Amino acid sequence: MHTVLTRGNATVAYSLSVLACLTFSCFLSTVFLDYRTDANINTVRVLVKNVPDYGASREKHDLGFVTFDLETNLTSVFNWNVKQLFLYMTAEYKTPSNTLNQVVLWDKIILRGENPVLDFKKMNTKYYFWDDGNGLRDNRNVSLYLSWNIIPNAGLLPSVQATGKHVFKFPSEYATSSI
Amino acid sequence: MLDIPTHMDFVGQGKAERWSRLIITFFGVVGLIYGAIVQQFSQTVYVLGVGFLLSSLITIPPWPFYRKNPVKWQKPVITDPKPQNGDSSDEGKKKKK
Repeated sequence: MHTVLTRGNATVAYSLSVLACLTFSCFLSTVFLDYRTDANINTVRVLVKNVPDYGASREKHDLGFVTFDLETNLTSVFNWNVKQLFLYMTAEYKTPSNTLNQVVLWDKIILRGENPVLDFKKMNTKYYFWDDGNGLRDNRNVSLYLSWNIIPNAGLLPSVQATGKHVFKFPSEYATSSI
Repeated sequence: MLDIPTHMDFVGQGKAERWSRLIITFFGVVGLIYGAIVQQFSQTVYVLGVGFLLSSLITIPPWPFYRKNPVKWQKPVITDPKPQNGDSSDEGKKKKK
């Protein structure tokens, strides 16, 4: 501590150590929180078509068309260790060839400070609901889940699933007219 | 040239280090509490930054109040230079060889 440089070095080093401790405290204060909350999902219109999947095998695969309502309040999820949420909606269903199919249909980024109360009506999906075969038509048990990844300042990157889900079924006939 | 004293005495160095630690720790704790209340971690970092600047200002420059306990040197002991000193050192070197 005998020159300006050694004192400056010590001050910077100690400040950074304290900053690391504070960041760790912030992580500790949120690591045990329960980030689950409820979501209301509802389907408005459900169609299924049988069209060639040029992105994959060029064979005719089932393509689902879903419009949905989504209502949820994510205010309680945000705290000082949450910078943003990555929301995504997945459809889960079972087909004869696969016991578990998961398709991401829609996603959204919510930054902290933006409106966390969502109330969407008749939303179109953002991504195609392709099945890898013909498992959608007359599928009686398709579940829609809302999940989110939490992007924190420090610590874990939890993946949370909302408690609400919606179960719907696809019609037993392919839609022929253009939607 | 300007004759600006830039040193700290030993007591001053101890004080500077202690105050530096105290200020930064205090602002860190206050920042953590404030940030937890307003739920903004950025505020915690800013408060710590203020503590860092204050600590830098107070403890890094060699302010005059860090020079109040100068080292008391003993008076130099004046001894007569003995002419045989050089010879004896030469002998020691020879013995080592």
